[in-house]
Amino acid sequence: MKKIEEIEVPGELRYTPDHEWVRPEGDLVRVGLTDYAQDQLGDIVYVELPSVGIHIAQGAVFATVESVKSVSDCLMPLSGAITAVNGALADNPALLNESPYGDGWMILVKPDDPAAVSQLLTAESYRARLNGGG
Amino acid sequence: MSGLFKTFLHDKHVSLGATMVDFGSWHMPLQYHSGIVEEHLATRKSAGLFDVSHMGRFIVRGGGALGFLQHVLSNNAAALDTGFAQYTMIPDDRGGALDDAYLYRFTPDEYLLVVNAANREADWSYFNERLSLFREVRMEDVSGTMAMLSLQGPSSRAILRGLVGPGGLPEPIRNAIRSASIRGKKVWISRTGYTGEPLGFEFFLAAADAPWLWDLFLEKGAVPVGLGARDTLRLEAGLPLFGHELGKDPAGEEIPVFACPLARFAVSLSPLKREFVGREALSVQFAALKKIQDEDFSSLEDLPRRIMPFALREKGIARAGFRVFKGAEEIGFVTSGTMVPYWNTAGTGLSTRFTGERGMRAIGMMLVDSRLKKDDPVEIEIRGDQVDAVVVPYHLRSDAPPYAMPILQRPAEEPEKSHTGAWQDKTFDLLERALQNTLWRQNECINLIPSEQTVSPMVRRLTMMDPAFRYAEHRSLRSYYDAEVFYYQGTDFIDRVEVLLKEEITRYLGCRKVEPRVISGQMANAVVFSGLVDYLNKGDRKMEPRRIRSVLNNHMIRGGHLSAQPMGALFNFVRIDPRTEKPAVVNFPVMEENPYKIDVEATCRVIDESRPELIIFGKSMVLHREPVREIRDFLQEQEIETIVLYDMAHVLGLVGPYFQEPFAEGADLVTGSTHKTFFGTQRGVIAGNWREEEKLYALWESVENRTFPGGVSNHHLGTLLGLLVAAYEMNCFRDAYQQAVIRNAKAFAGALRDAGLQVAGDPAVSFTETHQVIVKVEYARAVEAARRLEASNIICNYQAAPDEEGFTAAGALRMGVQEMTRFGMGPEDFRSLAQCIHDVVVGGRSIRKEVTAFRTRFLTMRYCFAEDRFADLMDKLHRFI
Repeated sequence: MKKIEEIEVPGELRYTPDHEWVRPEGDLVRVGLTDYAQDQLGDIVYVELPSVGIHIAQGAVFATVESVKSVSDCLMPLSGAITAVNGALADNPALLNESPYGDGWMILVKPDDPAAVSQLLTAESYRARLNGGG
Repeated sequence: MSGLFKTFLHDKHVSLGATMVDFGSWHMPLQYHSGIVEEHLATRKSAGLFDVSHMGRFIVRGGGALGFLQHVLSNNAAALDTGFAQYTMIPDDRGGALDDAYLYRFTPDEYLLVVNAANREADWSYFNERLSLFREVRMEDVSGTMAMLSLQGPSSRAILRGLVGPGGLPEPIRNAIRSASIRGKKVWISRTGYTGEPLGFEFFLAAADAPWLWDLFLEKGAVPVGLGARDTLRLEAGLPLFGHELGKDPAGEEIPVFACPLARFAVSLSPLKREFVGREALSVQFAALKKIQDEDFSSLEDLPRRIMPFALREKGIARAGFRVFKGAEEIGFVTSGTMVPYWNTAGTGLSTRFTGERGMRAIGMMLVDSRLKKDDPVEIEIRGDQVDAVVVPYHLRSDAPPYAMPILQRPAEEPEKSHTGAWQDKTFDLLERALQNTLWRQNECINLIPSEQTVSPMVRRLTMMDPAFRYAEHRSLRSYYDAEVFYYQGTDFIDRVEVLLKEEITRYLGCRKVEPRVISGQMANAVVFSGLVDYLNKGDRKMEPRRIRSVLNNHMIRGGHLSAQPMGALFNFVRIDPRTEKPAVVNFPVMEENPYKIDVEATCRVIDESRPELIIFGKSMVLHREPVREIRDFLQEQEIETIVLYDMAHVLGLVGPYFQEPFAEGADLVTGSTHKTFFGTQRGVIAGNWREEEKLYALWESVENRTFPGGVSNHHLGTLLGLLVAAYEMNCFRDAYQQAVIRNAKAFAGALRDAGLQVAGDPAVSFTETHQVIVKVEYARAVEAARRLEASNIICNYQAAPDEEGFTAAGALRMGVQEMTRFGMGPEDFRSLAQCIHDVVVGGRSIRKEVTAFRTRFLTMRYCFAEDRFADLMDKLHRFI
């Protein structure tokens, strides 16, 4: 596993304490798992994504990510409707390991309240949490 | 973490950057940098290195050790010979497992029992409780002083061979063990493992040496593998894990040992085990299992659920504890399950190879209703959804070494229709192809298969002549002073042919009796075995006949042929040894420096110990004469009564002063096939040498009786007629032919060696005393070499050498000079051929044209009758073909 200082935490993203990241894109936000999360999980071998169109409340499970050894739920960073999911993960879940902030994105969400993004953790505070033991 | 145990390699794991976890009170590596998937795949393609020192290791010794082990273990420790290991359960009284374990017998008076790490202390106290019932047993926990490493995967053999030398490996048999020295340090090596790999080794050595051996294996290219991949590898191999497939289920219910498929190998109900812990409960389970396998579910309550492998048919991963349904009915639960990686394959049969691409599949094992069978669909509940799965027989197969092959759920393929259209079109096509094939093999190829021969034109014609379509069953009748009585008319000619054939073969072999009606060498052996059983039971026909008490033969891996093995023709005729619970067969020991040669001294000791009722000489990979005379002398000296059979299948055509004379040397019976070095059509033959007044003449009568009516009704009269001419040819030309064959084989072997190839056998006799030459190419590459030779019109066969694990791992080529000798090739020609073989095998050249041109010089058959006086008759016969 990576040392904490090797974990990538891009400055332009927002984060949750549960290791999801959020990137605002116009009136939508893109959501994925952080570098730290994928490293902790190890080889990700299966991802179950939500259906497009449904609404999921903040804190509810929007996806299940499975590694060889474990099953983890991904929690919705903010309430909103799913407008797209990353279909490539079905055939190649390892994208989550290889490119957590790029090709390994998970969902695109239309947030109920676009301002909710600003309530999420900044890169600095997320990294501070990692240093504090995650 | 301070309370956790650390193995001798703990620091190595940490410095390799492993993710360390708490595993049954041990601080162990879950995975290294590359991760579980890569570690799994590396093990399947090259070699994985595992630290298994956390497992418990107990030494059991003393006069009462065997009795103690028989009592507390489920397997038959008395069946465990020195130099082998066995899988076993530690059962409880109720037929459940306290643990599963491996028992190793490195030396005659000491056993090593390896148990699960998490159960070490419980096992130790349990054993100590039971120990009070036994005297003279000393048990020692050596877990703290002896380390255990495991090296698994296709490259493991080469890595180890590089360190211990070719002679340092255990025999290429699962569970074989031996002591070896690696760079001066003593290491016990066993062919065992927990990955399903056909090539895999475990190592036991002093704890202080463990880091050194670990580093040495890494330096040689092994990949360190953590507990994560250890689990996916064992799951893919269908091996049970205590706490999942064995022990207690999540509800605290005990899983019956026989629910686990491996129990068949791990439990013995032999009377020799007397009363052992769990015997009664295990007997009840086993009785139920046998019924269930026969689809009789009347004892289902004794074994209601069994462990079965499954594969998911839809997306998802079924994990341990998930519920399994069949329709609305809950029928069990998943015991282990995850997603495992595999290497994709392409090609079919021997052409199957890894493509380099990888896949993932969700598989597992479940404890479900015993009535389920393979291919039955089930549903597994995954987070509220019912996901389709199917019972599969296995996920992985280990029977094509050096690789473990993944077996995927594939839709059944429609068999390809090879030809459609009118019957006339098919016929035309067949004729064309038959002609092409004959032209190719007869005019363009150098045929070097040692078990084949082309027959002479005369033999060929006679084989097609009239008796070919007839019957001529006959037997002797005592009422007519043993005259042969035929059942059909029109048989005078073939009657005479058979009499003449017996005369010729009797003359050829130097014996009194010949039975020529068997139609193959394998049938010849089967008839002899059947005849021997008949003879052994002649005193009492009302009792269940007993089988042959024990047999001494050549092991398959050292060239023994299946026609002398329990898996072949010996199958029905040899007793199951009550000690080993296996067919009562022992094998000829061989010379350390030349495994193609029987070790006479050691053989005498084996005979003295095992007192075989039947000794079978002869093999299909044969370079040297068999020590018939030496063994006969020993038997006489020791007054040991046993039947000596020499299966001369390969060397029947070499009988005589240039090779060996079986009856003069003391064989009782000779069997053989008539179409390898002999000139004949494809048949078998049995010969004996007893006089009618001798006691064992009754055995000969049993052999005749088991031939007809026991073995054949129609004994293929066309090939019988052809064989008579072949016998004339052999008796007329044997001297020149036999000398030429042996001279050519020696010249060929020498030239192959000179060309830089590694030739097997004793260099002191120019490597071979027969028609055969064995060339070592490269481990597991002989199939490819034989194919390349075929592409250059040189036909031989790939062959597993005595140190190789099976025919798919073959690294040698087997060649015979007999057929090309008959077509006139001499020592010089074989020297040229040796260079051709080198050019193809080592040089990678394709020389089809050159070989075809070479063959044109050798198209006329020698050692047969070609005088003008036969021309007219041959012509007339030809018109009937």
